[in-house]
Amino acid sequence: MPETNLADSATVALNRPEQPVEPRSAKKVAAHIFLHFGMVWVLILVIIGAQIIYPGFLDPGNLSQILSQNAPLGIIAVGMTMVMIAGGFDLSVGAIYAATAVLYADMANKLPLPAAVLIALILGLAMGLVNGLLVTKLKVNAFVATLGTSSVFGGGAYIYSQSTPIVVNKEGFEELGLGSFLGVPNATWLFIVVFILGAFILSRTVYGKSLYAIGGNQEAARLAGIRVDRLRIITYTVVGICSAIGGLIIASRVGVGQADLGGTIALDSIAVVVIGGTSLFGGEGAMWRTGIGLLIIACITNVSDSIGLDTNSQAVMKGAIIVFAVALDAYSRRRNG
Amino acid sequence: MSAESTPAIVVDGVVKTYGGVRALKGVDLTIPAGTVEALVGANGAGKSTLIGVLTGRVAATEGTVTIGGVQPKPGEPTASRAAGLVAIYQELTIVPGLSAEDNVFLGMTPSSAGVVRGREIHRRYLELCSRLGVRIDGRQMARRLSVADQQILEIMRALVAEAKIILLDEPTAALSDTERVALVRLVKELRSQGVTMIFVSHNLEEVLDVADHVTVLRDGRVVQQGPVAEWDRTRIVDEMLGEAGGLVKAELAGDVDENGVDTSVTVHERRDDQPLIATGISLPGLLYDIAIDVRPGEIVGLGGLVGSGRTTLLRCLAGLEPKSTGTLRIGGSEVRWPKTPRAALDAGVALIPEDRKNQGLVLGMTAAENIAIARYSKVATAGVMSTAQLKARTAELVTEFGFDPARLGAKAGTLSGGNQQKLLLARWRFLAPKILLADEPTRGVDVGAKEEILKALRRFAADGIGVIIASSELEEVSAVADRIIVLRDGRAVDELIRGTDPVHVDAILAAAFGEGHHDKEATGA
Repeated sequence: MPETNLADSATVALNRPEQPVEPRSAKKVAAHIFLHFGMVWVLILVIIGAQIIYPGFLDPGNLSQILSQNAPLGIIAVGMTMVMIAGGFDLSVGAIYAATAVLYADMANKLPLPAAVLIALILGLAMGLVNGLLVTKLKVNAFVATLGTSSVFGGGAYIYSQSTPIVVNKEGFEELGLGSFLGVPNATWLFIVVFILGAFILSRTVYGKSLYAIGGNQEAARLAGIRVDRLRIITYTVVGICSAIGGLIIASRVGVGQADLGGTIALDSIAVVVIGGTSLFGGEGAMWRTGIGLLIIACITNVSDSIGLDTNSQAVMKGAIIVFAVALDAYSRRRNG
Repeated sequence: MSAESTPAIVVDGVVKTYGGVRALKGVDLTIPAGTVEALVGANGAGKSTLIGVLTGRVAATEGTVTIGGVQPKPGEPTASRAAGLVAIYQELTIVPGLSAEDNVFLGMTPSSAGVVRGREIHRRYLELCSRLGVRIDGRQMARRLSVADQQILEIMRALVAEAKIILLDEPTAALSDTERVALVRLVKELRSQGVTMIFVSHNLEEVLDVADHVTVLRDGRVVQQGPVAEWDRTRIVDEMLGEAGGLVKAELAGDVDENGVDTSVTVHERRDDQPLIATGISLPGLLYDIAIDVRPGEIVGLGGLVGSGRTTLLRCLAGLEPKSTGTLRIGGSEVRWPKTPRAALDAGVALIPEDRKNQGLVLGMTAAENIAIARYSKVATAGVMSTAQLKARTAELVTEFGFDPARLGAKAGTLSGGNQQKLLLARWRFLAPKILLADEPTRGVDVGAKEEILKALRRFAADGIGVIIASSELEEVSAVADRIIVLRDGRAVDELIRGTDPVHVDAILAAAFGEGHHDKEATGA
């Protein structure tokens, strides 16, 4: 290897010798697997533990319910994965989710359902676009920008609904959230479609590859001619639409549009992405990781609910898992230099 | 200023070796207390290493440094500081959100039981100001102050820390002419008060103006030292360059006669449809009405000192300076002045940036992905990337640059500097621009890779791509360029054409220092 020749003084400090392709020790392989697929093992442990604590866990009915119940969260997490891989962040997804649910319910009472769906999706898109413009063109820090718009969008939903639930009495409205197709709930279908589409875009398309480049080194991506701002705006728009789809499902499921639906879904969706192992700093991650993260959170929630664990204890547990996941991320980064 | 007292600094036989190469080859230097010592030398002379040894950032391989009679532990900056040497670098350590006076007392804030004594700070600050003849509002936020004022605050901070010796590393490089004057005045004031200073500067006028004694470093040694009265500009430049200045390394460029004039030169005609003609390139405060053109098959080098505007000029052409203005003709047709990198690329201008790691590569992505990043769509069908195409295209590209295709799957961050640079060359082969700008293309790469990179740039030029190269290694510029445009303070001050002018390092440096054989005066306003 010519690089091992340290003939020139200037190169000594600057050149890192290339890592030789050496046979790895068993210990190193184990560490590699643990660090890269650690969350898969965690998921397996969670499933085993869940079955022990709650014997009905692996019943097909329960498993199906886990997926359909978490479909809105999963769909939002798909969009969030793209935002975060491009080095962004979105705290306003809960507000978009609630606002679109409210608008969808109201429109469903006034217009044909497809029109109502379209309007709600456009609202999600527009809100995401606002976030994207704030972050890229006005260069507002993503955390602050979306914290702000979260308040604006969420507050707007309360004003629009006059803080009262909008009850929908329209035939077919509940179909999206409660109906099923070929024995699988519609919400689950939607999640699967969005997830596979997201995974495909991220791993196989020019757009997806460019997001990794932006998250990995925004300046280098820009100098290489990638239209960084445009692509980042699109990620915020996509997560806006994903949040709107989530909003449609939840409004349909509960039969009302309510401004307080958002709850903890913004933080949960970020948690799902991070637990899976997608980096908080962008540039690294994958959609399958988000799938793992979602299943971990979903299984824990399901078991906790079934054994009647109160929400406060659930919050403590969820928080601890998030911190653990991020610590693992930081640790593996340090190890990999 | 008692001459019989202990010298402020004694450097005795200092050698510093980096991996077998000696950056300092036995430096002896004695600085009497209360004097100003100027340290000059060309790039690579060992100045930075010597400064590092003095300040304790670098541990000498052999030899000792004595500061004020004590020998601080080598390699420990705090020890040198405690011995009384405070260095002020070009990168300032001012806290922008604190007031001027708080910055001066940073880390030494007078307090009682943890409570800051604001009145005492203010009183002592005013005392210091009047002692130095400085007028900076102490209550002003540091970020509102000019760079020169911030630098003065650093010097005041050094005085508060009871520094016996202040080392100023290129203190005026970032300053405007008027600010320069103010800083030089302060240095003189300090000298009259008996503060010992080490003054490192490329600006020889300043050196002659403020120093008591001048030491010239070349090639890791002190080649000449003496009281300032014995020096003038020409002599300093001569000593800095030594005999090596006359010897052009021209392996890459062809034959050179004894006058340094290349005899194997192809004459590059000026034509309307040549790769690049840019005129009136300006950037407020940095570049003034520069014109540059590249003829077919030609490599144009940018010469000049650090801060002369070389990098800025390339950044303007590459669309990285949205505030720049100018006109641009590429391949004979007028294009809009680029305001974004993408616009520049669409016009056909590509840049190999100065900072490979931060501006060039996505270190976490593979070598192949870093090459194709310039236009992923070229290895995709309807937006879907093809791994097979990516592999095939990049493998084909990298062999030209001597990069092993088997390493294409390795993350860019694990590659050597030379191989990283080859990825950037392959990237622009992949995109095939009309103009290639290379900023410090061989920085931090080993000798073998260096040659391969320069040869690759030659090939780009031979293929009809206009190549402009900027490098602080002037030998390299003189070896590879057909024509050199010398910049000084943001202006094009000279043009050296191979075949008619001597194209070598001392010619470039002479022009850069304002002693060029042409010495055209600045053309712009």
